[in-house]
Amino acid sequence: MDRLIALLALRLRLDLRALLGARLRLVVLLVALPAMAALSALAGAFAFTLARLVERAQPELLLPLLSALSTLLGAAWALSPLLGGVALSEAHDFTRLLHYPVPLPTLVASSLASNLLQPLTLAQLPPLLALAVGLAGLRPSLPLAAAGLVLAFAFVVAGGQAVGLALHVLSRNRRWHDRALFAGLGLGLLLSLVPLLVLGEHGGPVRRAMGALVEHDVFALSPFAWGVRAAVHAGRGEVPAFLAWATAAVVALGAVFGVTAGVARRMYRGEIDVGGAGARSAARARLRLPGRIGALVDKDLREVWRDPRRKALVMSSLVGPSVLLLFVWQGSGGGGEMKPALLLLLASFSGLSTLGTNAFALERRGLQLLLGFPVERFRILVAKNLGQVLLRLPGACVIAAATLLFAPLVYVPVAVVLLLLTQLLAAAADNYLSILYPVPVPEAGRNPNAPIAGTRGLTAALVSLVAMFGALAVSSPFAFLAWLPYLLGQHRLWLLTLPLALGGAAAVYGMLTAGAAALLARREPDLVARALGEE
Amino acid sequence: MQDGAALVVEGLTKVFRQQTAVDRISFRVARGRFFGFLGPNGAGKSTTIRMLTGLLRPTAGDAVVEGVRLSRDLLAVKRVIGVLTEELPLYERLTGEEHLLFAGRMHGLDRGEARRRTEELLEFLSLADEQGKLVVDYSQGMRKKLALACALIHNPRVLFLDEPLNGIDPVSGRVVTDLLRRLAARGVTLFFTTHVLDVVERLCDEVAVIDHGRIVAQGSLDEIRAQRAMGGDATLEDVFLKLVAADVRREDLSWIG
Repeated sequence: MDRLIALLALRLRLDLRALLGARLRLVVLLVALPAMAALSALAGAFAFTLARLVERAQPELLLPLLSALSTLLGAAWALSPLLGGVALSEAHDFTRLLHYPVPLPTLVASSLASNLLQPLTLAQLPPLLALAVGLAGLRPSLPLAAAGLVLAFAFVVAGGQAVGLALHVLSRNRRWHDRALFAGLGLGLLLSLVPLLVLGEHGGPVRRAMGALVEHDVFALSPFAWGVRAAVHAGRGEVPAFLAWATAAVVALGAVFGVTAGVARRMYRGEIDVGGAGARSAARARLRLPGRIGALVDKDLREVWRDPRRKALVMSSLVGPSVLLLFVWQGSGGGGEMKPALLLLLASFSGLSTLGTNAFALERRGLQLLLGFPVERFRILVAKNLGQVLLRLPGACVIAAATLLFAPLVYVPVAVVLLLLTQLLAAAADNYLSILYPVPVPEAGRNPNAPIAGTRGLTAALVSLVAMFGALAVSSPFAFLAWLPYLLGQHRLWLLTLPLALGGAAAVYGMLTAGAAALLARREPDLVARALGEE
Repeated sequence: MQDGAALVVEGLTKVFRQQTAVDRISFRVARGRFFGFLGPNGAGKSTTIRMLTGLLRPTAGDAVVEGVRLSRDLLAVKRVIGVLTEELPLYERLTGEEHLLFAGRMHGLDRGEARRRTEELLEFLSLADEQGKLVVDYSQGMRKKLALACALIHNPRVLFLDEPLNGIDPVSGRVVTDLLRRLAARGVTLFFTTHVLDVVERLCDEVAVIDHGRIVAQGSLDEIRAQRAMGGDATLEDVFLKLVAADVRREDLSWIG
């Protein structure tokens, strides 16, 4: 018991230290805790009202509807370690305690208890109680309904624990770790698009499919729903049905505990072998792009493609333009053609997203290696900016494809030029921010993929705003050149204005970047020291 | 000026948040010398190397590397030096071979030359079998060897090596020390930190001992022995312990049976 208390105290102390260690985190905590309490109360009121309304209006719908909701919410919770990449970080790593003579049940119990005592878990108790009251009222069956809901919630928490542990096992193999991380990030991306697909004007088929699943009570097969179904039957006074579903929920819970304990025992005994990382292809390596700038761009692209987090980030650059396009499309009636002006506006503003991306973001602690090379700083910045532009290609392709689909062909090069020139000039402005306000990177020896050690600070946020206006001002003459033939209705003029706009933007980019390179040459030891947290 | 000196350090100082890490150190290292820079943990060795390689701005003082003043032309200094830092900042998602090709290209080697040197270095440091593996999958010793190869690929005139033998297996350790000896014989200057004192005794022509940010002794081992009035049979360990005034506890722990 002493060991269990010591482990719980250790976990609590580490969590508190992580929260209170940074000023910004403390602010987040002060805002997050009341917000969490308010949301909990709101969720409670919603659950109570939903249960009451549906039970009165369409009682036959209550079981399928609550089954569907509990399955969706429960699965999202249980998969949260995968979605957040939590299990792949050090938070769930109890293997560091394995060399101490701590019995396995103590280790597993401490891990479970720590997860249960988290504020986010405790915040779910008021909504559960409210739902129980909504289902059973203040009748004697209330404890049974509450017990059913607690069983359902316990299954969700235990499921999260099992997923976390399984991911931790996978993370021992770098390749599995990468795959799981990429799958989690991809799943998160898809889930974030679900509301858009369901609630959007053209989300009819998705909504119909969901409706059919609920109507046929398919979610009754989901173990996430069994405890909730027991609670509904308890609320209606149907004791045999309650007992049947509650038994099923207990069996499901036992099965999850069994899996968790089995995996933990194998880890405890050092019996888990997920294989080595393995060698890659024996083919000769090549850096295909020419020159030092080419070598640097080549290096960045390879690193991004092989790092699941960064690859997912590149893929997520599809989301912004896609969502905007969807809204613009729906706003224009969702018919065949869209107003070209809307597409050109979208291209103009999408390019500005390069601002704030941090030219040295891909380097992390490799920054000291990069700046140790005797390469002109101008070339380094150009290579970094080219990389930034190339990594935004998916988003650019979405805009180009949309222009191709929804506007006359002549607008495609215009959209591409607008996107390119705003990207270039925003990247030039971003160079100054990257040098003057470097983003801190995780300390040496820590997980390089851990969240960054801090932020650029409030001053940097204000300067970013100024830089945004600066980038807008600098790019506006060239953007105007690209727009001019559209405004005049003289499309042939694009043959003249597009090269002029692009050439002018490139010249201004060159000047701005030369200035940034001179600044970098003067400030690079400070940049390294601040990024690596040495000053 | 610095006739025959590869490195001249003049009053180099670094203060971190009112705490002096390196305190007005000055010394010179002749060209082609194997210079050992010793000191206990936290004495200021790595901070000195980071300042001398342009990765950390000195609070005061300056240095001249191969005739180029650090404060005047950092890029020119970076052309003539090779650096192996203790932290080994490597690009983890490149293969070892790609990493070396990249380092070669960044040092201005053409593709063919970068390829030739990469293959030689991989073979020489016994990394050829692992050249297709990502650096993230390398062991600590392999990372150290790869970082050393990156520091050597452009044939630098001065090599700054922070703990180069840490974590390397004995066979590779011997290969590396033999290579470093040959480099010194060809006129490359080696600035070398380590805690393994018998390696220093075997390799270094000259040492400087830093403690609490200050140089407490400098010269050949014989000169330092003479300065501290220690006999010719005193080992470098004896000299080192005396210089840093280390209190080596000899009593047992009370609960050890």
